Parts: sequence; C-alpha cells; structure tokens
Amino acid sequence: MLTSQLDHATRTETSAQLESGGGQIVELPGESDWREARDAIAGAVQVDIRFGKFNDGRGFTLAAHLRERAGYKGHLRAVGALIPDQAQFLKRVGFDAVSPDRTDLAADWARAEARFSVVYQPAVRGPLAVPAKRIESGADLAVLNARYGEADALDILRDAVTRTWRGRIALLSSFGAEAAVSLHLLSRIAPATPVLFLDTGRLFAQTEQYQRELTQKLGLTNIRILKPQASDVAREDVDGKLWSRDSDACCAMRKVRPLDGVIGDYDALITGRKRFHGGERMKLPAVERVNGTMRVNPLARWSAEEVQAYFRRYDLPRHPLTDMGYASIGCWTCTAPAHSDDVRSGRWAGQDKSECGIHRPLPVAAE
Amino acid sequence: MYRYDEHDTTLVRERIEEFRDQIERRMDGRLSEAEFKPLRLMNGVYLQLHAYMLRVAIPYGSLRAEQMRVLAHLARTYDRGYGHFTTRQNIQYNWPALTDIPAMLEALADVEMHAIQTSGNCIRNVTADPFAGAARDELEDSRPWAEIIRQWSSLHPEFTFLPRKFKIAVNGAGEDRAGIRVHDIGLQIVENARGQLGFEVWVGGGQGRTPRLARKLKDFLEPQDLLSYLTAALRVYNAHGRRDNLYKARIKILVDALGIEGFAAEVEEEWSYIRDGDLKLPAGEIARIRSFFSRPELTGPAPLPEAGPAAFRAWVDTNIRPHRVAGLSSAVISLKPIGGTPGDATAEQMDLIAELTERYGFDEVRVTPDQNLVLPHVRNEDLFPVWSALREASLATANAGLASDIVACPGLDYCNLANARSIPVAQAISQTLDAEGLAQAAGEVTIKISGCINACGHHHVAHIGVLGVDKRGEEFYQITLGGAFGEDAAIGEIVGKGLAADDVPPAIARILRAYLDFRDEDERFIDTLRRLGSDAFKEAIYADLAA
Amino acid sequence: MKTLTANRLTDGRVIYRTVEGQWSTELAEAQRLTAEEAVELLPVAEAEFGIAVGPYIIDLDKEGPAGQKWRRETIRLAGPTTGTTHVLGAA
Repeated sequence: MLTSQLDHATRTETSAQLESGGGQIVELPGESDWREARDAIAGAVQVDIRFGKFNDGRGFTLAAHLRERAGYKGHLRAVGALIPDQAQFLKRVGFDAVSPDRTDLAADWARAEARFSVVYQPAVRGPLAVPAKRIESGADLAVLNARYGEADALDILRDAVTRTWRGRIALLSSFGAEAAVSLHLLSRIAPATPVLFLDTGRLFAQTEQYQRELTQKLGLTNIRILKPQASDVAREDVDGKLWSRDSDACCAMRKVRPLDGVIGDYDALITGRKRFHGGERMKLPAVERVNGTMRVNPLARWSAEEVQAYFRRYDLPRHPLTDMGYASIGCWTCTAPAHSDDVRSGRWAGQDKSECGIHRPLPVAAE
Repeated sequence: MYRYDEHDTTLVRERIEEFRDQIERRMDGRLSEAEFKPLRLMNGVYLQLHAYMLRVAIPYGSLRAEQMRVLAHLARTYDRGYGHFTTRQNIQYNWPALTDIPAMLEALADVEMHAIQTSGNCIRNVTADPFAGAARDELEDSRPWAEIIRQWSSLHPEFTFLPRKFKIAVNGAGEDRAGIRVHDIGLQIVENARGQLGFEVWVGGGQGRTPRLARKLKDFLEPQDLLSYLTAALRVYNAHGRRDNLYKARIKILVDALGIEGFAAEVEEEWSYIRDGDLKLPAGEIARIRSFFSRPELTGPAPLPEAGPAAFRAWVDTNIRPHRVAGLSSAVISLKPIGGTPGDATAEQMDLIAELTERYGFDEVRVTPDQNLVLPHVRNEDLFPVWSALREASLATANAGLASDIVACPGLDYCNLANARSIPVAQAISQTLDAEGLAQAAGEVTIKISGCINACGHHHVAHIGVLGVDKRGEEFYQITLGGAFGEDAAIGEIVGKGLAADDVPPAIARILRAYLDFRDEDERFIDTLRRLGSDAFKEAIYADLAA
Repeated sequence: MKTLTANRLTDGRVIYRTVEGQWSTELAEAQRLTAEEAVELLPVAEAEFGIAVGPYIIDLDKEGPAGQKWRRETIRLAGPTTGTTHVLGAA
C-alpha cells in the first residue's frame, strides 16, 4: 500500500482510532452518488472508494465531491484496479492513500506520484495551479509590459480597449489639468468606453464645468459619475471638516470607497498618470496591478512637454484653473497652485501625502 | 501566437518522460495492453491496420513556420514522407514505430507542440475558427479562449477517464467555422448590451452512430466563469454519463436522457457551488494570453489583383477569403488536388508552405476542419508569388469550398475501425466532377465521406454525405443529403439503398446536374435541396442503376 | 483455412503466427490451421507476452486472405490501396 505524505496529521489520528478498534470504515463503489455517499459515511473515520476498472473515472469526481462539497475530512483511500499512472490524479482529488489490486509496483507508484511538477488546474490538493502561479509571480504584467513597453499611447489604448480588456475596462479621469489628453485619445478609439469621474462633493466649480465642456466636445457618451454615499458623509464628516483633521479618511470616503463600489464591473482601469509627476510615480509601468485590478497607464512615459504639445496639436481646451497656476487639480479643500516645478506640489501641500489612495492599496479602504 | 512559458514547457517535457516510462513498462510487462491502450491513446498513439499512428495536436489549428518545418521533419524521418491533416485540426503520421514516438514528441516539444489528449476518453484538442484573427465577420478572436481551455484540460485530475471522448469548439465569428453544433460543447462568442463579451454555450452535439445537433445550454456566460462552468458540466457528465454501452456514452445521450432543461439544472446546481472559487479566471491571465494573439496592421493597402493568368484568377475567385484588415487576404491552400488523398501533404510541400508562411504569411498558417491549410494574412500584392510557388508544388488547386474539395476520413486503407474505404471514393469523385467541369459549375457544395458509422469524415453534416458500409465482405456507400456544418447546421437524411463504389461518382455527378437544372438563378445547391427536398434528387441518384 | 495474425508491439507491423510458434511479417510463413486448431491456439498466443498485440483469427485460401474480412486483411497485408502519398496530382 502506498500512502501519501499529505494530510499526515489526519492519517495518524485515524490510524490510532482504527487500531484501537474505534473507527468505522465505509467502502463505497466509485459510481456512488455523492449525496447518498455523504449520508452513508457520516461518522466514518475511513472511506474507501472502490474502482472496478481503472478507466472508470467516476471515483475521481466522487472524491472531489466528498472533499469539496460534503466536507469530509477523514481518511480517504482508493482501492481496486488502479494503475500507477493515476497516482497524482488520485492525490489531487483528495485521496490520502491507494490500495491497488496489483501490489508489486510500489516503485512505479512512487515515481508516478512525483512525475509532474506543474499543474494547470486548482484541485483539492497539490501544487499551486499555473494560472495562480503566473499572477503571483507577475508573469502577466511582465508579458503585457514587454508588449506595451515601446508602444505609443494610442496603440496601448487601442489594444487595451478594443482587444485585451474589451468591454471590461474604464478610464479613470479627474477632469483635471492634463485629463484632456487621455480623454481625447480615448475619444479617437472608442468614445462609448466608460469614463469614471469621482465627484467628491469638494470639487472646484471649474472642474465640474470643465467636465461638461470636455465631455461634449470630445463626444464621450458614457460618463459614470461616482459620488460618496450620503450616509457616509452624514456620519463621518458631520461638520464638513474631515479633510482638515484626517485627509486620508476624507479621501477614503470621498474617492476610494465610491471607486471600490464599481471596480468589480471592470478588469482594468486606464489612468492618465505619468512618471514625470514624481514621487511614487517615477517608476510607473505601462500596466500594474492594484488590489487585484489591472491599471493601464498609456501616458506613463510622456513628458510634460509632450503633454503640452498634444494640447496644442489638437487645440484642446484647458482646465480654467491652469491659468491660475494649478498644475494638478483635486478637491478645493486640499489643492493649491503648484509652488515649484513639481506639478503635484500643490496637492495636500504641507502634508506628508502625495496620493489619495485610489492608485495603491490603502489600509483604510476596505471595510 | 501563444508562446510557452517555463510552466508550459515543463509540463510537456514531463509528459514525454511519462510516456517513455509507460512504453518501457509495456515492454517489460508492468503494464498490460488493456492498461497501456488508454494511456497511449491519450498521447495520440493509435494502433492502426499497418502500424502505429501518431496524432499531433495543432491547437486551434495555428502553426508557425518553424512548427510546420518540424512536421515536415517528422514526416521525412519517422514516416514515409507525408502527413495527413484531419478535420479536427490535428496531423496524423501513419507509419511510426512505437519506440520512435518519444523522439518525435521531443522534436515537437522543441517547437512548443505535443500530442497530449488527441485521443482517448478525455478532453480533446480544442477546435477553433481557422480564420480567427483574420476574418472580416469576426466579433472576437477565439484562439485565446481555445488556449485557455487547452491548458485547463491538459492532464485534468478529474476528467482524464471520462465515459467517452469530449470535444470542445470555440467560434468568435458570425459564420460558424468551428462547428459548435457538432461538438460535445460549443462556445459561441457573443456580446451583451454593455459591449462585454461572453459565451453562448451549446451542449450535446456529435456525429457518430447517433448524430445530434447541440442544444443551447446557456445564453451568456461571463468569460471569467468559463472554466468553472466547463468544470460543472464535465462533473455532471463524468458522474452520470453512461458507461455500460460504448455507443451511448457521449454527453449527447445524457442530454437526451435528462432533457436540456434537466441537464442545465444539474450544471447550474454544481456551478453555483464552484463558480466563485479558485477556477475563476484571473483577469491578468486572460489579458496575458490574449496579448499573444495580434494581427498585422498595414500601411498602403493594395487591392485584390485583377490581372494575371486565368488559372491565377480562378484561384483568387475560389480560394481567397476577405480579411478584416484592408489590403490583406486569407488564402486557402487546397490539400485536395484532383485525384489526390484529401488532407495529405508531403514533407516537401510542408517545407514549402513553411517558407511561404515565413516570407508572405506573417509567420502564421492554419489547419481547417475541411482538411485544408490557410495562410490567414497575405498582402494582396503577394498573392501572385504565393500562388506561383504553390502551383509548382501542386498546391494551387482552385477548389476551396467546391464539390471537389472533399473531406474524407482515412477509411479502410488505414483505420482499424473502418468498414469501407474512403480515400479511393474521394479520388474518383473529384476526378469525375473535374472531368465534367461540374465542381466549378455547381459552386458551393460540400461532399464528405466516412468509412464507418463513427463518422470521422463528417458525412452527417455534408450537403452530400457518403457513408461506407460493409455487406458480407463488399463495400457499399449510403448517400445522405441536406446536412450542413455551420450555423445552419443540419444532419443529412439517408436517401435510399447503398451504392457500389463505382456507382458513387456518377450518382453524385447526376445530383449536381439535377441541381443545375432545378436551381433558381443564383440559388446555392443547399438552398435548392432545402426548397425541393431530397426526394427530388432521389431519381437522379438511382436513375441509371435500374437498368 | 485459418491463421493467427496480430500487430507487432514495437512497431505495429502486421505479423502472422508461424509453425514454430514465432511471428513473421510474411504471410507465406504463416501456420495454416483448421478452425478448431485456430480456436485452440488463440488463447496460447494471447497469453504470450511481449511480441504480438491483439492476436485474432483470419480466414485464408490459396490466394491469401479470404472470408468476409478479405478486403481488410488484404489491405493489412499489402498496404493502402491508394499507395502512399508522394506526389499529389497536378494542380
């Protein structure tokens, strides 16, 4: 008999019970209905599933059902006409041990059990499945960034919107100082793509006016305005001064949570962030993952000059506040004109804060 | 095209080592033939009449030039200089020794290919539209989804010993060129009102002894739920599919027994339990796999050529398909020379096609369910040099989609299961039709021939189907009429009693002549047949036989 | 007249049972058996290990394969009736 090293604790415990004559062993044919089997094995410390023929695969699904759906945690053994080539499959669907009819092939069973180091499917047991491994190692980001590395913004955007995340992608826009560039690029490709606009309730009147003007001029047809929950505002910001006491909490309520509410509708969000914004953005890749959602940054490599050239080339309207020295525009409560070449220096000026939290994991974001 | 990462490579290599070990154990008796047979089948190895046969997967029918060169190398080194392309986007080698197969698999693995699950009672190589990524009527490229299913289904711990084989097809275009209604599960890519893509799921199609068209199982399946839903469907099938009768073991029989609503209810119940688990496809993985499948962009597109020799213009008329990118076309390479073996290509032909693929084809060539090849992306100005090179190699037959573009299984000339020969019948039909100019005159007609009721030649879904049967040592051929493969899929009806082999070509010629008499203006053969019914053609089939 | 045939394990080639109890690729070397002898010999051949896969009984006459499966067995003996594909017909 060959036993797996997995689930060692369970096995020892069961063996002790069995040796003391305490446990009940139930044998089921592989063709059993799993619901009937669940009732039949109540109280059993060991369940044997019998395979009449090695190529009758019902016992594999039965084992998976007993483990996954019936919640059976005891010792599970495959018995009958099994062959070594099935060792890993048996283990992965939840068997602890095998007792094959032919008993002279222990070496073959041992070798077969260690045969494959790679599996594509998540299962009851076994190594992490390949798709999950790829996400864990960032292989998906590596492939996409290699592909987008040298591409220009329009090509990245076209690929992202019409192919890679077709129907499952939105553009996240502040309708701030540089927003017209990504909005205009999008309008050239697919103006019906959803555009998410976070209306924090603390926006400059000029931003709201600019949002309407740009939307109309560019022919964007799918603006989704996200507002904070009125009940949250009433509870957490009674006096309207939360921004001055705890700006992170204010951003969480007015930006992060409203975005979290719809983010499940999309597999990826497009942002207009650029490396020249400085700070954490200096290493911005074309594609990244934030809390499980992909972010596509087609303008990551653009310089401030390229942004300005694009405005001039397409004669795009400027945000009214840019003439007053605002280089990056958020809520009126926390935005001042830039006081240096650093375009984001007017955001949360005087605080040790440079991001609102929608672009990176924020501990306060999740309830 | 998809490229393997280290995980894909490792799995294929480990699989070869496993097969090497299985052969060794078969040789020294640790495995009996009864045990070895299903294991070798799952590696694509059959034992046919004359020798072993190796069936190599061409996932979603797509090949790069270097892969085609390896197929040529295998034909030359381990076979008798040729290979046979099948209706399910595989290639078969008819003459390898069992002991050579691990070396063949190594050569395939070097170019990211394998023979995994091309046979056996498991999930088979996934079929996709051969024009995917190129066709003008395409909604979405089906190949990334076929690749996702290929990976998920490879060495599945639960679904490797199913009641019977299980075939999946994915189609992303308006016209169904993958055959979703004749597969165990067919996935048609559709778009919902929000512009999101998903799958319409069909189940229970299949040919063989009990032909069935698939029934619709689900209107819209979200892409991230694809694998959990397939798992649920396969679990229901694995647990409840019949195992007492080989001929009643396919999922179509289970769907018949439970009814489509009953089957759907079982699947939904199972799915509700697993859909939010680990099988949910990560968006990053979908994006990663999609990112491999691009299509060429062109500047300065040229129109289709209108000048040139008559033979070239005829080829452009019949073998060129419209491309979604202006200035590109898809070119069908017919593997149906008049009097040849349908689907066969020699090593030299494969090498030439590899060269054309590299030089003119953006490094992609496809295999079609009609047993032809396609260069999906060719610049219009390159069509003439492509045609000229193909013609030198007897690969420029201008008959794609015509009656002489015959599909045929290997039949009794090779196959252990066949009752009658298919290839000589196909050869004779194409010669007869060609001699009378009937194939050109009749336009779009499908003729498909199977050498037994397993229907590998797809005769059930041909406009004119031919089924070989054995009556006390003699070959007879039943004619079926009215079948169709695509979105107007239909099972053909048997018309009268079987014919002797020599009577088949003239009978088919009479059917086509009758059509030319009966048709209204530009009416297609299948439309005339549907309008008049098959009885109208019965007289033509048996006309000269009564005498 | 009967004989036993099978495919060879290592390369799948068609083989016939010889008088010496060996296997040969030549039909001429096949042991001619009566129906009774063939039925007796089959389990012996099936029980042997290592050379033949799936032995079974076929009918023979002086010319070669006979009976209802004559065509199948003739093709096994002589190869595909269409030859092997070397040069396809002209375009």
